[in-house]
This record gives sequence, C-alpha cells and structure tokens, in this order.
Amino acid sequence: MLRVVLLPRLRWGWLAALALGPLLAAAAYDVARVLEAAATRGPRVVEQAQALVQQIERSGTHDELLRLKDINDFFNRRLAFREDTVTWGLPDYWATPLESLEKRAGDCEDYAIAKYFSLAAAGVPTARLRMVYVRARLQGQSLAHMVLAYYAEPGSEPLILDNLRPEVLPASQRPDLTPVFSFNTEGLWQGAGQVTAGDPMARLSLWRELVAKVRAEGFI
Amino acid sequence: MSLMRQIAWLVLGVVLAALGGAVGLSTVSTQGLMRTQLQLKNADNAQSLALALSQQKGDAELIKLLVSAQFDTGAYEFVRWRSPKGEVVFERSEAPRPGQAPAWFRAWLPIDVAPGVAQVSSGWNAIGTVELRSHASYAHDALWFGTRRLVAWMLIVGIGAAIAASVGLRRIRRPLDAAVAQAEGVLAGSYGQVTEPRVPELQRLTRAMNAMVQRVKDLFEAQAGQLLVLREQVHHDPLTGVSTRKHFLAELDAALQRDDGPVIAGLVLVRLRDLPGLNARLGRASADEVLLTVVSALQAYPESVPGCRVGRLNGGDFALWLPAEGVAAETAHALADALRASLPAYGPGVQVALGAVELPRERPSSVWLGEADAALARAEHLGEARGGFVVEIVAEPGIGREQGEALWRAQLQQAIGDARGQLVEYPVRDRAGRLLHLECPLQLQLDGEFKPAATWLPLAVRARLTASADLFAVALALKAIAADGHARCINVAASSLADAAFLPQLRESLAQWPQAARGLLLDMTEAAATEHFERLLELGQQLRPLGVKLGLEHAGASLAQVERLYQAGLDYVKLDASVLLGVAGEAGRAAFVRGMVIMLRSLALKVYGEGVVDEMDAQALWDCDLDGITGPWVTEGRG
Repeated sequence: MLRVVLLPRLRWGWLAALALGPLLAAAAYDVARVLEAAATRGPRVVEQAQALVQQIERSGTHDELLRLKDINDFFNRRLAFREDTVTWGLPDYWATPLESLEKRAGDCEDYAIAKYFSLAAAGVPTARLRMVYVRARLQGQSLAHMVLAYYAEPGSEPLILDNLRPEVLPASQRPDLTPVFSFNTEGLWQGAGQVTAGDPMARLSLWRELVAKVRAEGFI
Repeated sequence: MSLMRQIAWLVLGVVLAALGGAVGLSTVSTQGLMRTQLQLKNADNAQSLALALSQQKGDAELIKLLVSAQFDTGAYEFVRWRSPKGEVVFERSEAPRPGQAPAWFRAWLPIDVAPGVAQVSSGWNAIGTVELRSHASYAHDALWFGTRRLVAWMLIVGIGAAIAASVGLRRIRRPLDAAVAQAEGVLAGSYGQVTEPRVPELQRLTRAMNAMVQRVKDLFEAQAGQLLVLREQVHHDPLTGVSTRKHFLAELDAALQRDDGPVIAGLVLVRLRDLPGLNARLGRASADEVLLTVVSALQAYPESVPGCRVGRLNGGDFALWLPAEGVAAETAHALADALRASLPAYGPGVQVALGAVELPRERPSSVWLGEADAALARAEHLGEARGGFVVEIVAEPGIGREQGEALWRAQLQQAIGDARGQLVEYPVRDRAGRLLHLECPLQLQLDGEFKPAATWLPLAVRARLTASADLFAVALALKAIAADGHARCINVAASSLADAAFLPQLRESLAQWPQAARGLLLDMTEAAATEHFERLLELGQQLRPLGVKLGLEHAGASLAQVERLYQAGLDYVKLDASVLLGVAGEAGRAAFVRGMVIMLRSLALKVYGEGVVDEMDAQALWDCDLDGITGPWVTEGRG
C-alpha cells in the first residue's frame, strides 16, 4: 500500500493523484506499515526502524512522563545535529522520522517532528503536544529554534523536549527559550476527511506535506 | 426501428452524452477547485489569525478585538476563540448568506468546507484555538454562473452539431431512399433504373439492382421479340404481311364489340379481279408484285391512323377497317386514285373493284361483311360494263345525328350530374368458375333509356366529359362493392388519364370508401398506357397503397411493343378478343397466346381473356394457363 502510494508519486505524481486519490492511508499507528516503509529505504533503516518500533512498544506500557524521556533520549542519541543544507542540499527541509533515521541526522525541527510522531504513535494524545517556534539564546547569540512542548493539562506549564538540552525540563527551567508561536496536528484534517500524500491540499505547506508523508509511513 | 431513425438516435445520444459529460465533468471539477480554495483560505486565515493572537500576551480584550476586526473586514460565517478545554470564549458569527444560486443547485453541488483551526498560545501557555469559516455563497454563485454559461455554450454547440448531423443524414438518406424505392418498385412489378449514388456501399447495391433490372428488361425484350416473330407467322399473311382472313375477322369482331370506338365506322373491300388469270398471264412473280402494290396502298392507313386494320380475306380480296365516321367513301376514292396511278405499270387487264360501307358499329359483323360484299358486287357489276377501277359506296347515315351535338352534350352532362346511370356487370371467372371480379361498363340514361358506352363515349371524349363519367362509374362501383363485397372493374378512358384533375378527384372518392377501394380494378387501353405513361406511373404510385389494382384492357398483338411495360407496375392484363377468337381451332394462335401469358407472368402480371364466345375457345384458353376469362360465353353461364 505504502509503495503504491509513495513511489508512483515521485515519478508520475499527478497521474497517481488522479488515479489513486481514493486509496487512503489509514489514520492510525501501524507497525507493519512503518517497517514496510523502512524496508524501501534499505536494511540500515529497517534496523533503526525496528529499534524505534520496539522503543514505542516498550514506552506504550510506561506512564506519559517516562514515555517523554524514552522518546526524547532515543532521538537525541541516534540523530546528529546537522544543517539541512548539508543533509539534504536544501535550505530548509522537514524530514519524517524514517528520513531522519536514514540520514541519522537532522536539525532542530527534525528532532521535534520525530519526537512528536513517535509520542503520538506511543499513545500520547496530540492535543497535549505542540511544536513551538522559539527564540533561543545560545552563547550570547540569538537563533530561531523549534522544540516540542508537552502539556499534561490544558493551560498547565509545559515540559520541553529539545536537542540543545538533552533532558526533559519544565518551561520555567528554560529561560534561554522564548516561545513565539505553536501548532500541532489538531484540526488539521478536520472535515477534510480523506487525505493522501497525493492530495494537493497536503503539499501546500511544509507542515501539511510532512504530516501527509508521516501518515503514509504509518505513524499516525 | 428504421435504419435512419437508429442512426439519428445514435447521433443524438452521442452528442447529448458528450455535451452532458462535458458540462457535468467541468462542473464537478470546478466544484472541487472551489472547495479546495475555500478550505485553504479557511486554514491559512486561521493560522495567520492565531499567529497574531499569540503575540498579545494572553490579553483577552485585545484578542477579542482582533477576532472582531478579522470578522468585520472579511467574509466569514464565524470566527471563534475556544479555551484549551474546548469552551467558546468569544464568537462572532452571522447566518450563511443566500447568494444567487438556487437552493436546488446548492443542494445538488454542495461546497462543504471544514473550518480552519489554529492553536493560540501566550508564551509557553496554550490559551486555546481559533476556528473560522468563510462564506461559501460567492463560490456557489461563481459555480452557478459558470455552469449556466457552459450549458448555454454547449446548447449552441449541440444545436450546431444536430443541424450538421441532420444535413449529413439527409445526404445519406437520399440515395438510400432511391434504392428502397427501386426495390419496392421491383416487388410491385415496376422495373425502373436509378442513378448510382456516390456512397460506395449504396453504389454497389444500386449497381446490382440496376443490373438485375437491365436483365429483366433484356429478358422481356427477347420474349417480346420472339412474340413478334410468332405473331407475324400466325396472324399475318406470309406474302403481304397483312392480317390473315381469320385474324382480320377476329379483329373486326373485337373492334365492333369494344365500347370506346366511334358510333359509326367504315369498311372498305378491295378486290384484285381475276387473280388466277393474272397468274396465268403475268406469271406468279409479277402477280405477287401486283398484290404487294395493292397492299402497300392499303398499309398507308394503319401506319398513320391508330385503330385501322388491313386484312387479306382471300386471294385478291383485301379489307380495310376504318374506325371513324364519314371517311369510308373518301378513303375508297383515294385508294382507287392511288391504285389507278400505280397498277397500269403491270399492263392492261389489271382491274380493281372497291366497295365501301359505313354503318353503325352496333351492327353484327355478318351485316357489315354482307353489306360490304354487296357493295363490292355492285362495283364489280359496274366494272363489267366500264372496266378498270370502280368504286361503290354504301353509306348509311348515323343514328340520332339529327339532334345535334350541343343537345347531346347537354344531355350527357345532365345525366352525369344527376347521377342517372347504372353499371352493367359482366363476370370474369377463373378456371373453377369462381367469380374474380365484375367488369362494369357504365350506361347513362339518355332520352329516357340506358345507353351503352359505345353510344355516348365518343361524344364524351369530344366534350371532355370522360373524367366525370369515369369518376361517376367509380363512385357507383365503390358503392356496389361496399354493398356486396364483389370486386369490380371500371374502364378509364385515355382522355381521363390525360386530365390533370382526374387523379386528385379519384383519390378523394376512394378516400371515402377505404374498404371498398381494395376491391376496385381500373382498366386502361394500351393506347392510354403508351400515350400517358407518366400519368400511369403516378396513378400506380398513388393508388396502389389504397389497394386499387391497375391493368390494361384490349391488349392485343401490339402489347409486346408497349415500351417500358416492365416499368409500368401493373397488376393484370386483359387480352383482346382479336387475339383470342378462334384460338381453339388454330395451334399457331394458341402458341401466340401461350407466349404472351409466359411473358406477362414473368412480369408478375395476371392475365385475363376478353370476349370469349364458345366453350372450345374457353378450354383452349385454360390450356394456355390464363388466370380468368370473360365474354358472352362466361356471362351466359359458361356451358
């Protein structure tokens, strides 16, 4: 299914969109599809993906705080920070978890993305997760950065998952970060019903395109 | 369903499907485009509003102000701010605008778009979400007007296509109709040729049909040619080529019986005197030349006047039948003058006597011949005294002539106008004695008594009253058919056929008796058919659908020469008594009749015999395989 949806899109995208539009990716975490998607990227990725799948499975039995730590550590350990220009040859590229694992590298939003979808796969409600644009002060310099925030309750102080500081910390202990704007997948697909990677709607922003690809890979 | 109708429906279906499909597809894809655009607008506007709200540091009043500002300056159904728990904190909304598209259209092609949703935060705090939805009515209006314009264009294109298609179909239809008409004509016994169309398939069909028709025509012509030879052998004197005695007498009888001749007619007898003596004196060859000289003088008449007959009664006796009044004496004198100029070349002693009589046609042939013989005898008697060329004329004045033609015409008109007339009925029976139809000549009441057609028809021809007389007869016949169900046959005069008003009136009359019309037969003479061939074709085309049958009467030896008989589309032919009389006694005549029957059968015509007078002839005719016979013998109860 995944191959059918993804591979033709690369070659004859419009035709696939036209012909396969009705074939939707099921909207739920699906181990088989994740592994299948990894298999198309080579044995190294399969190995990484299996580790991730096992991690998600293990974390699924833990409480949410432990899950945050597990997933945060998993990606902070396995991914090296590297600019998109080096990894992808593009000024900005939002990679899916499997893409990041394939390259074994990513920049700030790639960490946040991988954690967001892995936590969602492990059963954390996406309403509690937000991707947050922040201004980070690092060694006296100010830089645009992105982190993942976890809200245990609506309106409570969030926990921050970041690659600059590998440990999970409450927002109050991160004075180096100034939040600017947050978003998540809530309401993104509301009413739109069926969405596929071939849907023109899905490719209109980096975020929407990314979510469509991640859905195709079986994370949500 | 006819081929043409099927093609027309097919073309219509394809055009409608193409146009309907185009309109439908375009509308649906436009609907999809509208939905996507509206969805994007909702999502993007929600995102940018959320971005702005997230910069207000959680100031609720500022946030509400911004929400109101966004709502007031845009086209939104609602803009809503929800708390993180999901309750509505602030909302601005208005009812969906109606727009210009009708309700059914909106229901049929809905543009349902989900609201755009975006997260609002204040610092690290999530302070809820914004939701907004734009009005969809303008999108619906655009879709509605676009679809209407498209439908209008498609209608114009469709009408253009339909016109082009109907023109094209008509082009195909014309040669097809011609081919079908030809095929129907062949079925009805009318073997006509048509021009080959340019469409290859039809061209082959038409070529085949034309070839078939040509073959029928050739066959017919070959048969006609054979018949002509046979006729020469049977009916004609081998030396002179004029009718034999037997045939001439039969012709005379038939001419006296037929009802469309003149009231008064003439007969001239010419005798080359002392033929044995001439033979002895001049030798047989020269005597034959003398005979041929006499015949060539006589032959001038039948060659120039239709209905004239010449026969060699025996040896040096010749007869000339003149179907006209007041010309016998003149003709006899003219003949005498001509012979006087040519015969002396053969030496003295070549003597000719002429006797001419003029009598009412109703007299029997025995009277005619007796009177003519007597005249000839008197001429010979005179010739004894004078020698050379003698002429004796006996002319009996016509009957009823003294009344004057104007009076006759008035009486005739009145009789037809007052419907004072009756049909006499002569049965036509088949071999088993079954009645096929009744021949019904019209009798008109003139001077208080019913007069046969022979009396008034010549006058009616001159007064141009035949059409009304024939229509009157048809009306009587239709009434009679409706009463007893027997088929009836009416004679149509040549002059009626020529009358342009005849056919429409006849159709009108037939339309009143559609049932009875199926039992009606119309007879025409050979001459009428030949002279007014186009009219005959028209008559056939118009009357055949009504069930009326058409045929030729008094068809004689010259039938084989009726050109395009194979094209006329007739139903039957009635053979003239002159061909049939005495058929029992002479094998040659029978062979001729049989030949005629075979030829006519090959054209799918029924063959009837007229004027049968005795059982011997009747039996001989049955042996010739005729379909039916009529005549005195049949009328009197067939033996």
